Amino acid sequence: MEPSKNLIIDGVIAEDIWTYIEDDSALVDGPCVVSLARLKQDFEALQAHPFPLGLVVRAGTKQGEDINDVANMLDALSLIAIDFPVYRNGRGFSTARVLREDYDFKGELRAVGEVLFDQLVFMQRCGFNAYALPENMSPDTYNQAMRMLPGAYQPASDQRRGIIWQRHNQKS
Amino acid sequence: MYRYDEFDHAMVRQRVEQFRDQVARRMSGELEEDAFKPLRLMNGVYLQLHAYMLRVAIPYGTLSSRQMHQLAHIARKYDRGYGHFTTRQNIQYNWPALEAIPDLLDELAEVEMHAIQTSGNCIRNVTADQYAGAIDGEVEDPRIISEVIRQWSTFHPEFSFLPRKFKIAVSGHANDRAAIRFHDIGIAIKKDSAGAIGYEIHVGGGLGRSPFIAKKIADFVEPQKLLAYLEAVMRVYNQLGRRDNSYKARIKILVHEIGAEEMRARVEAEFAKIDARGTLNLPNEERQRIASYFAPPEFETLTDDCPEFDAKYAEDKAFAQWIKTNIVAHKMDGYAIVNISLKPIGGVPGDATDVQMDRIANIAKAYSLDEIRVTHEQNLVLPHVRKSDLYVVYEALCAADLHTPNLGLISDQIACPGLDYCNLANARSIPVAQEISERFSDLNRQADIGELHIKISGCINACGHHHVGNIGILGVDKKGTEFYQLTLGGTPDENAAIGDITGPAFTADKVVDAVENIVETYMLERKDGEKFLQTYRRVGMAPFKERLYGAE
Repeated sequence: MEPSKNLIIDGVIAEDIWTYIEDDSALVDGPCVVSLARLKQDFEALQAHPFPLGLVVRAGTKQGEDINDVANMLDALSLIAIDFPVYRNGRGFSTARVLREDYDFKGELRAVGEVLFDQLVFMQRCGFNAYALPENMSPDTYNQAMRMLPGAYQPASDQRRGIIWQRHNQKS
Repeated sequence: MYRYDEFDHAMVRQRVEQFRDQVARRMSGELEEDAFKPLRLMNGVYLQLHAYMLRVAIPYGTLSSRQMHQLAHIARKYDRGYGHFTTRQNIQYNWPALEAIPDLLDELAEVEMHAIQTSGNCIRNVTADQYAGAIDGEVEDPRIISEVIRQWSTFHPEFSFLPRKFKIAVSGHANDRAAIRFHDIGIAIKKDSAGAIGYEIHVGGGLGRSPFIAKKIADFVEPQKLLAYLEAVMRVYNQLGRRDNSYKARIKILVHEIGAEEMRARVEAEFAKIDARGTLNLPNEERQRIASYFAPPEFETLTDDCPEFDAKYAEDKAFAQWIKTNIVAHKMDGYAIVNISLKPIGGVPGDATDVQMDRIANIAKAYSLDEIRVTHEQNLVLPHVRKSDLYVVYEALCAADLHTPNLGLISDQIACPGLDYCNLANARSIPVAQEISERFSDLNRQADIGELHIKISGCINACGHHHVGNIGILGVDKKGTEFYQLTLGGTPDENAAIGDITGPAFTADKVVDAVENIVETYMLERKDGEKFLQTYRRVGMAPFKERLYGAE
């Protein structure tokens, strides 16, 4: 996987400092993103590498990768990239919420792969804070996408409380 | 009935504006059809054989007269003067122009309606018992929790790109009229020994290529915890559901592959985590707020004694026949539930013209406390009619050609749009339904045959519910020729069963003869008072098979 040429982190255009490492390749001097299989297999060696460590979670087709398999390693990660191989494959929405809500993951949660304009606000609601956008998507378009559907009936991983609770001034 | 507050209005308006922008981008060419497809599908817009089709949500099948008038108006202004009521209690328009759809949605929003999540791989419109609030013996009005689910599932950020579409149905009565065991999630409302309400959860039911009866995975989920429980089911499905093959992507396949016990264990584990956070606990105030909209209307204190009704019943035979077939007892003395058949002899099941919709709205306003229901069997219901008004209602229905006395009889068929409209279909459905209806056009003969549900699908996707027809008919294509496979013994209710295949399929010119042979076999075999299904359960397939295919 190539570094993103159109990356937004926390609403700001950013340079992609991460290198995606193939499973059979050596780490590089710098922040490295590895697969879930490699993280499980080489965890000690990866921890000894003196640079930030990242993970890419693949959504798969028949089955996706299970983030629960590496639950005890999450503290070592600065970045988790969640892959959307095609827009229809929405496993990553659940993966993001599990990371934010079950594991209280505080690092960068980045959507990579096929990220559609009309999905951005849902991704944000599920806990993503970074997006590898399509190369032709302008910052204005990104901002417009994030203003879509400002209302929400239900709580998720963002700050919106959900109308069902808002009506009664209750914390969701 | 539920009424939108400012929040609900805002949500629908936001969506219309978003879709208006998307359509503008499509019309200008900025969006290609491929990129537009997922967006239009989230808004109920399909591309059919001949044109775009719009599916409008009728949440839990409940309409006011004002809403029905608006549906009539839309049929007139944006379509060719008719609409088609579907097996999921929705209405479809077959001929709207794409560029006009945002305006159409604006007009729907005026009457608190929308087309949100009527297509796409998301949580679809929630369906419920059409007799909600009118039938005796109901545990709780299923529309209360259905409305809660409608809101929770609308624009759900996590569950808008599921492996496949997802359908939820709710029944609050021992007699299941919502087919909950053939839904992705079926909810049966229960009461415990202390009188508290809870929800029994069934998952993994469905029809299509691989039909399954849902498995019960929870006996009693408290109202406050229901959304957390549903979110747990959805999260397990979204993570584990297959995405390698669209025919294996429904939750029924997941439940079948991992088993009901494993499914229950995974849901319970997920539920424990969500429940511990407490964020999805339904506030009692909100439950009460929504319940207040479904409080019983102001019924008059009446008795079932009604001399003017008795007189008409005695003197007008056609009226008496209609009463026998289309009227169901109401929970209140002096009231009745009126079923309006959308299955006139030789007609298209589920279709209604703009004029008919306006007439029904007028009747509902005057005689049914302003309420109308849509049934999953593609008929309409006037839920609260005074017994003393039944004759005038009947006459008004006659004037609109809506008085066919065939509810639950052989001509009250479900049929999918089939090859006449649908680009998935292998065979025509509507002409077969029409031919059966004509063959059995004698209403006395129909009444003699008694309750018999025929359901017809034009392809294996089973939109016409053929698996759960007492007689099911499935259209298949064999080298360019339409064939029809028959099944016997299916039923969608609390005794859920999937029909058995009779044997080799029949050609289009032989299928109605085959249906008649099945009916005649039943008539010969039946014992006093037995319905078709009871006879079939008792005698099995053998006599039917012999009549259809001859002795081996």
